[in-house]
Amino acid sequence: MADETIYQYLLREGVSRRQFLKICGALAATLGISEASPLLAAGLARPTRPTTRLVAEALASKPRVPVMWLNFQDCTGCTEALTRSLSPTLTDLVLNKITIDYHETLSAASGVQADENKRMMMETYAGQYLLVVEGSIPTGANGNYCTIGGRTAVDLLQEAAAGAAAVIATGNCAAFGGIPMAQPNPTGAVPAYQLITDKPVAHIPGCPAIPEAFTGTLVNFLVFGKLPELDDLNRPITFYGTTVHDRCLRRPFYEAGKFANSFDDEGARKGWCLYKLGCKGPTTYNACAGIKWGGGLSFPIQSGHPCLGCSEPNFWDNGGFYQGQSAPISRPTITVAGAALAAGAVIGVANAAANRLQKRHADADEEITESLSG
Amino acid sequence: MSTTTAPEAPARAAMDSFIHTTGSWVASQLDACTRCGICAEACHFYEATGNPEFTPVWKVELLRRAYEQRFTLTGRAKLAIGLDKPVTDEDIRHWSTIVYEACTLCNKCAMVCPMGIQLGPLIHDVREAMAEAEIIPTDLVEAVRKQEEIGSPLGVTDDAWADRIEWIADEWEVEIPIDVKGSDTMVAFTSIELMKFPENIVAIAKILNAAGEKWTISTPGREVVNFGVFEGNPDRVKLFMARLLDSAKELGVKRLVVTECGHAYDLLRWTAPNMVEMPCEVTHIVAVIDELIKAKRITLRPGAFDEGGTITFHDACKIQRRGGHIEEPRNILKLLAPTSFKELDRCREESVCCGGGGGVIAIKEADPLRYKVFELKIRQMEEVGATRVAMTCANCRLQFTESLQHFGSPVKAVGLSHMVAESLVEEK
Amino acid sequence: MGSTDATLAFARGPLFYTALLIFIAGMAYRLVSVLLLGWKRDRVPNKGSKLRGVAVTYAKGLLIFPFIPWVKKTFRGNQTTYLAGGMFHFGLFVVIFLGTAHMLVWKSLLGFGWPTLALPIVDFLSAAAIVAMIALFVNRLANPVLRLISGPSEWLNLLIVFLPMVTGYGLTHHRLLGIVALPYENLYLMHMMSINLMLIWIPFSRISHFMFYFFSRTYHGAQAGKRAVMP
Repeated sequence: MADETIYQYLLREGVSRRQFLKICGALAATLGISEASPLLAAGLARPTRPTTRLVAEALASKPRVPVMWLNFQDCTGCTEALTRSLSPTLTDLVLNKITIDYHETLSAASGVQADENKRMMMETYAGQYLLVVEGSIPTGANGNYCTIGGRTAVDLLQEAAAGAAAVIATGNCAAFGGIPMAQPNPTGAVPAYQLITDKPVAHIPGCPAIPEAFTGTLVNFLVFGKLPELDDLNRPITFYGTTVHDRCLRRPFYEAGKFANSFDDEGARKGWCLYKLGCKGPTTYNACAGIKWGGGLSFPIQSGHPCLGCSEPNFWDNGGFYQGQSAPISRPTITVAGAALAAGAVIGVANAAANRLQKRHADADEEITESLSG
Repeated sequence: MSTTTAPEAPARAAMDSFIHTTGSWVASQLDACTRCGICAEACHFYEATGNPEFTPVWKVELLRRAYEQRFTLTGRAKLAIGLDKPVTDEDIRHWSTIVYEACTLCNKCAMVCPMGIQLGPLIHDVREAMAEAEIIPTDLVEAVRKQEEIGSPLGVTDDAWADRIEWIADEWEVEIPIDVKGSDTMVAFTSIELMKFPENIVAIAKILNAAGEKWTISTPGREVVNFGVFEGNPDRVKLFMARLLDSAKELGVKRLVVTECGHAYDLLRWTAPNMVEMPCEVTHIVAVIDELIKAKRITLRPGAFDEGGTITFHDACKIQRRGGHIEEPRNILKLLAPTSFKELDRCREESVCCGGGGGVIAIKEADPLRYKVFELKIRQMEEVGATRVAMTCANCRLQFTESLQHFGSPVKAVGLSHMVAESLVEEK
Repeated sequence: MGSTDATLAFARGPLFYTALLIFIAGMAYRLVSVLLLGWKRDRVPNKGSKLRGVAVTYAKGLLIFPFIPWVKKTFRGNQTTYLAGGMFHFGLFVVIFLGTAHMLVWKSLLGFGWPTLALPIVDFLSAAAIVAMIALFVNRLANPVLRLISGPSEWLNLLIVFLPMVTGYGLTHHRLLGIVALPYENLYLMHMMSINLMLIWIPFSRISHFMFYFFSRTYHGAQAGKRAVMP
């Protein structure tokens, strides 16, 4: 069964050839941005063969890749986002037709039965399956803050990662620690990559992750057998290559200096820039402004709320959500500033006292010189 | 530059003096400087020669070093890691030439400084340090010695003075009251007026007599010049000042009138009250004349000097810019020469110094520089086509007379008091 | 995790915090050191009014000369210094106080904000200020007077003020320069780092002239005022 190609598997699942080509088109659309050459993208060259065919050929020749999905300290928001995604073909494909063999939340089986499924999968597809992690992993109290079937999250993750071909950490929690890792991080939560050091890890951060970004990355692995090109934070450049600010529909208002000063003022009603309300768009790399949510319907800024920067590390601790992005993260209180002022003044007083003493010595010196010469 | 025998470590003596002078005022002024260099263009010595070392703020460089290196944490650190230079004996000798020969303490630099730093007084502080280190031009030392021992920097003895006054009174047939107790006004002349411009003494005597002023001159307080100021020695400044002020107290006068002497006026009017107890108020002769005219105690012939080509006015740095008598001479000139009076291009508080003040004229080594600087003045006068230039400072006038002669210029330098005396309308 | 983000958080957080405290303490040290060195009372009777002199000198210094410098005769010999210096300061003040991003910094520190100017205006003035700084630098290099009176710290001052301005300008143009230059947060990090460096540097350099300006200017006004001379 492991040697069966994706195409063969789909035929067996009752997918017609016509449907298969449709699927390939949908997949190609997801991949198009990253794989097309700049000349193609600019419309300066004609593709020698359609991208759809590229995908179709890959799916027809490549073996099916099984996926194992583990949930740790999470809210299942990323799974929710994926299942409620308005790209039905793709989601259906990913969730039901192609890949996911084990998903704790979605699995019909439970208890020992589910565990047994997982064990079998790890044995059968050792070194071939793709591991998806959702949620951060607690390391405090020997990992006992999160256990499944009596085993800690750390244990489960390391066991699963040992046989994986690659890892996708979805959501900010798995990628960067998310809310569980926010100050004061009571459970000692860490992101997945800190525990998995010998396998390639792709990050799909976001709170939740954009479903299209997740599926796109997954499909890339299915089609090309490898993770897509990643940035320095291991995020696929296709989806995380530009900032929200750069593609924001309110950007012209930023340039023109037209800002909403509160959530219910004239500026807010007119759809002006939310920078003053704390928008983190300028430093947030994500596809929100492009792909948007709900099938391209809207995204937070469009709906009137500033970007929280949820695809960036430590977004909970990088200053207030509603505080201007340029504002310092920490600032001295009046008391501390006053103490600094007082400390400086004390040094000043000491310096002045030393200098006055010096002046007195200089005067004495002058008198000595005078008496010597006189 | 030739100097007197200096103490073994001039730098140390100078440093002591710098530290002594540096109070909050000096520190705040030095800290305000942004090194913008605008003061350079204000300095007539820089303008005439283009020598960057004549930049006013560079003249206080040693004071800055002393302040920063001894009084501030940063300065100490900078000295320790070699980012700033220490003050050496060689530096003292070098800067001595600059501050004595290429600065008249005219303080025009303070008027252009964007921060308003009082560079003139700061340079005077540097001179004080030079005096403390005893690295002073020989001519200045000699003049100070003469004033200390003989009573006048020009070497006029008591007897010579008395003879000269008697001769002036006889020659011009004018009454000059000497040592009259209970007078209202004590007038103090300079040796320059006495020896070079006696007609100025005559003019002032005539004006005061015509106004019926109860005035006198004083034998012990006969010299208003104070070479201690040029040298920068506060003790001698006080000594020479005391001769005047004690006499004024002795005579019981209400006011001390300084005649055509810039630095003496600056010292007595604007500095002395902070150094010593003042027995009376101090004013300048040009203010007195203006006051007498306004009070109609003297009457002048309007337009008396309208004939004879354009007449202009040279603002003395210590009497106009630093003295505050900018309007008074103009009031008088507008009366005497309403049509032929023309202002110089840079005038009033922005005037260009004659180049002879601050003791520079007394230093022989500075002569070439002094003449060079005067070229600016000649150019200014040519611009307005002046044939005569009036002024209220005998030192300026000495520089003008000498330099005009040096350059063979036809312009005539005249004292304002002299002009007033000549146009007096005799009454009764 | 990306080192840039962690460093940026550090630069915006603890480092800025520390730099600001050093700035406050440093300025207090400077001010107190100077204030307590000892003042002499001025017992000289006035001819004019000191207060009037002070008022006039500030009016001239802040309202007249920065905008119409040619009324001042010294302007002729120092055109570069006047124009570039004026443009630099004007641009700097507009950017610092009327740029939206900077206003938000003030707002977070002071607790209140104010209306700001549109980005293109601020942008233009900051570019003008940068050009002015380059002109001032070249002028300092070329003019023998300025070369003479500039020590190592004067050159450093120029650099330390130049860095935040250039990185700040780059921040608003990271897309334009995107092909060759750095991403936003790298520029942001460099901006914050240079700001922190400048905050620490100011109390120990002549950039602190903004505080002592009020001493020397007031004194100058008083001196001219008491003599009834135009300051």
